[in-house]
Amino acid sequence: MNITGLDQRLRRRSLIGYALGMGLYTLVVVAMYPAFKNSTTLDEFTEQSPGTAALFGISGSLTSPTGWLNANIYNNFLPLIVLLIAIGYGAACIAGQDEDQTLGFVATLPLTRRRIAAEKLTAMAALLVPVIAVTFVCALAGRAFDLDVDVWHLLGVSIAVLLLGLAFGAFAMLIGALTGARASALGITSAVAATTYLLNSLAPVVDWLKPARYLSPFFYAVGDNQLDDGLSPWWALVLLALVAVLVGTTLIAFERLDIH
Amino acid sequence: MTATTIVSVEGLTRTFGPHRGVRDVGFEITEGEIFGFLGPNGAGKSTTIRLLLGLYRPDSGRMRIFGLDPVTDTTEILRRVGYLPGELTLFSKLTGRAHLDRVARIRGLTDRTLRDELVERFGVELDRPLHTLSKGNRQKVGLVLAFMHRPDLLVLDEPTSGLDPLLQDEFAHLVRETADDGRTVLLSSHDLDEVQRLVDRLAIIREGEIVVTDTVEHLRLTAPRTVEFRFANPIDPQRFADLDGVTVRSYTDGLLTLSVTGPVAPLLHTAADHDPVDLDARRADLDELFLGFYREPESA
Repeated sequence: MNITGLDQRLRRRSLIGYALGMGLYTLVVVAMYPAFKNSTTLDEFTEQSPGTAALFGISGSLTSPTGWLNANIYNNFLPLIVLLIAIGYGAACIAGQDEDQTLGFVATLPLTRRRIAAEKLTAMAALLVPVIAVTFVCALAGRAFDLDVDVWHLLGVSIAVLLLGLAFGAFAMLIGALTGARASALGITSAVAATTYLLNSLAPVVDWLKPARYLSPFFYAVGDNQLDDGLSPWWALVLLALVAVLVGTTLIAFERLDIH
Repeated sequence: MTATTIVSVEGLTRTFGPHRGVRDVGFEITEGEIFGFLGPNGAGKSTTIRLLLGLYRPDSGRMRIFGLDPVTDTTEILRRVGYLPGELTLFSKLTGRAHLDRVARIRGLTDRTLRDELVERFGVELDRPLHTLSKGNRQKVGLVLAFMHRPDLLVLDEPTSGLDPLLQDEFAHLVRETADDGRTVLLSSHDLDEVQRLVDRLAIIREGEIVVTDTVEHLRLTAPRTVEFRFANPIDPQRFADLDGVTVRSYTDGLLTLSVTGPVAPLLHTAADHDPVDLDARRADLDELFLGFYREPESA
């Protein structure tokens, strides 16, 4: 796992920063719950302005434990941070490293391109897991603040967010491997992520958008009341299949990439 | 005993638009040879090397290294190859030692004797992040990375870029030792001195096409001589231009300057008919010859 280790080493500081930051943010959110759990004005806000609330990934009650976590972490902030890391790394690990010519150094070592790509995907997972795990642990600490959520449901959402990150990260790798351009990988993937996020967020409040939510990976990860109902095995399979297809296509594209 | 062919390239073509890339490139390198790959910047040297290392895919043609195909057997080939590009880009936050250790692990290299010898010999700075080092010092790290696993084939693309003259000399010794050890070197360069000093045989590439492949010694022998006659009376230069192997370069104020590649007897007879008052003849040096190939391959 030398390439995995190398890429992790290069991002060590930002990884620690993201994990600590996300952990701190989660602790603040859960610690603030007792102050808001009986607030009726918050629920009035979501009832009166469902569209605005939906833009922030908020639907249903804000003051229930799952509603509070969804509204502040799992429907928006955690996916945002995870996608920031995954898309940033996905765009950098092939196209970015090709542009700065460090990929040429790696590609002249006796490693197959398949192995290089696989190690980079492993590195991506290794960058995402600590952030998601720290968030999970800190969210569980919410039990000390009356924020009682089902541990298995929380774990299911955490896994789903990981798969969501891997899917968008792999998509950024794919665009990078197809174009060799980091900016294209970042731009196209971010645009797709923003569009599909909005699709999932607005679908519950815009009738004609409802069928389209199935086109959004966010729906399968965080958009179907997963904290209340648990992660559906079918939705997990959809996310897994998406990751598998994107990884497979990335491998093919990377085999054909001219490395500088 | 027949020498083993280490690198064989035939009809290799890879284009990037109508004017970039390489077309119909072909050459062979045998075991223990130092083969020079010469050409001006942008001629296609690095493209050919990247094709050989499996970094690019060819449009057409055939390549073999150690009898293996760089497109399908890249890993097996790279295991036995050391590569040093002139514009080596490593990970700037990491130290030289971190690079050497990681590459040693990937290559399964446990014997560090040669690595330590090279570090000592070239005075490589190992413990500072690469972004704090000069280009020459970064190039030294690349040099150790290329040589430390004692590869059967060294691919050196403008390798001495950034090295000071003393280290260039030391590097030349290292390349010579490598060849004396029976290993093979492909040395791409636009530095004519470096090539003349080191290589046995060379190919010159210009605008993506090989214009000549020959030994340095043979090129030296067949290099056009410059012959000058001074005449007291006007002459017709066309009589000289009609001779085989003679090209008239200039005729001014009674001074006739010729390039001669053929036998000199007919030239001397013709000149004698015009009563020359002075004669000067000198062999063109390789620089002149190479530059001629760079400029106009057809007439060189």
